[in-house]
Amino acid sequence: MSEQASWKFTPTHFALGVLLILAIAAPLAFGSYHHYLASLCLINIIIAIGLNLLTGNAGQISICHSSFMAIGAYGTTYLVSKVGLSFWVALPMGGIIAAMFGLALGFPALRLRGFYLAVVTLGFLEMSQLLITELPSITGGVRGMPASRPALFGYTLASDLSFYYVILAITLLAIWCAYSIINSPTGRAFDAIRNSESVAQTLAMPLSRVKLIAFMLAAFFAGIGGGLFASLVGFIDPLEFGLWTSVRYIIIIVVGGLGSIVGSVVGAVALTVLPELLRDFKEYNELVFGVLLLAFLILIPHGLVSVVPRIRQRLSGKTNSQPAISKHGAGV
Amino acid sequence: MSYFTIDNLVVTFGGLRAVANVSLALGKGEIHGLIGPNGAGKTTLINAVSGLIPHQDGRIVIDGQPVHQMLAHKRAEAGIGRTFQHAETFADQTVITNLVAGGFAHRTSTVLQDVLGTPGKFAAERKAFAEADKMLDIFNLRALRDVPTGDLPFGTLKKIDLARALLAQPRILMLDEPTSGMNSSEAQEVITACKRIAGELGVTLLIIEHNMRVIMGLAQMIHVLDHGEKIAQGTPQEVQRDPLVIEAYLGHGSATHA
Ligand SMILES: Nc1ncnc2c1ncn2[C@@H]1O[C@H](COP(=O)(O)OP(=O)(O)O)[C@@H](O)[C@H]1O
Ligand SMILES: [Mg+2]
Repeated sequence: MSEQASWKFTPTHFALGVLLILAIAAPLAFGSYHHYLASLCLINIIIAIGLNLLTGNAGQISICHSSFMAIGAYGTTYLVSKVGLSFWVALPMGGIIAAMFGLALGFPALRLRGFYLAVVTLGFLEMSQLLITELPSITGGVRGMPASRPALFGYTLASDLSFYYVILAITLLAIWCAYSIINSPTGRAFDAIRNSESVAQTLAMPLSRVKLIAFMLAAFFAGIGGGLFASLVGFIDPLEFGLWTSVRYIIIIVVGGLGSIVGSVVGAVALTVLPELLRDFKEYNELVFGVLLLAFLILIPHGLVSVVPRIRQRLSGKTNSQPAISKHGAGV
Repeated sequence: MSYFTIDNLVVTFGGLRAVANVSLALGKGEIHGLIGPNGAGKTTLINAVSGLIPHQDGRIVIDGQPVHQMLAHKRAEAGIGRTFQHAETFADQTVITNLVAGGFAHRTSTVLQDVLGTPGKFAAERKAFAEADKMLDIFNLRALRDVPTGDLPFGTLKKIDLARALLAQPRILMLDEPTSGMNSSEAQEVITACKRIAGELGVTLLIIEHNMRVIMGLAQMIHVLDHGEKIAQGTPQEVQRDPLVIEAYLGHGSATHA
């Protein structure tokens, strides 16, 4: 499945290649607004991938993913505008700062599961929002904070197209890392503790360490996404990082597919583009999300990623009752 | 001192002494049986030794190394392996993924390598899958390689559980009713595998077994638990003639029940 002795060119590779060419070439035919929207899709992919590792793979519920996004956004922007660091140094540092907070959250989360974990992460979310308004010298308080576009090789990435390509490269890197994690002992430990903490431990998997790593990774991805988001928008609005944003990422990974990178990608794109299409009904945005989530949970409980293999199976006329892939651990 | 010793182990649940001052000693590469009526405390003993539940008293030593104060994953690293009465495979994962997880203790890539996807990590990954693939053949699971385990029959899950535990290369392996849910040819497969594991790999085996005929043919020494206490120990022949053992079984019902 994941690791074969000889590498073969499969339809999956072909599809990935086509997608990549599209991602590079298609924006040339569109305007600035679409470049901005596409960049937003990519940033949401990065953030969703992080949450999916934590929730879809490691099985840890978190409703403070937006807090880590905020830490990355404020951290990166602060380091650039107040400390004077290059964006390319500040961005990973913002991710690392977010990861440190992820670690800090991880410790109280170690002994908790399910509902109680959700409550603790909710507390963390409230705390982070309080800190944003109480530390105006760092965050600009309720008024927010301006952010700027980075420069690359002496050129400011002022155009949405140029910034899009940079974000695309970072997204590809994020996908690569997530792919590698899922197909590694670390990723298998995530999947194992989601299934059974007892069994995982008897296979020498250090429970606390594995959970802390998952929290740190999720926070790091969210932090990077947050830093990019601030720079893309050009402004940090503290209201962006509330409960609703966290819930939106949960919806993204559930609709796309838990534990699947393709699921994160599909979910993020669908739920970034959809609200734009429904712009005329902006006040019903949350309602639309809610209805979608319910519809998906009922109709496609394993997410959009589970649809393709099922169609393929139907086309090939197999009557096998075995699902073609499992909900989890599909490799990509 | 024996290779693997459990000394005066005590496990209580509230007022219930589920394991009451039980001592066992196993030599390297030996196969011992652990029998007793339902609720005797066999599974509880394995749970406590593997560190999944706390014990109130006692010592557990493997090859001179005390492990009873370690966390569960440290005990696994020290070479204590086990299987589960209810198999406990990862239901949403394929057979091969379940098996590869067993090799976690012998991973050669660091977390940073896992995150960055270095060539070294992918080489380690290929090796881990190759090891697991070999185990597929040993247990006749090749045809089910990429099937999620959630839909498989119980006897197959028991084999997967055993194969997964073996991939951790334990020094002492505790098997909780390894042939339950199996037909006789599958059971025979497992019996043969157990003999090879002990004989060729030198792994010490402690086997809880419900099927008397299986355990009598497999174990050189049998320990009998009843109500958490060890009531007898001896060769299969000795134990079968022991009046205490006969009474424990008759008192609870069928004499063929382990
Ligand atoms: N987690 C637990 N909490 C409370 N009592 C338990 C627990 N696990 C087992 N027991 C009790 O301990 C006794 C031994 O159970 P167990 O070890 O499963 O027996 P066996 O495996 O020999 O059939 C039983 O009386 C059982 O009800
Ligand atoms: Mg039992």
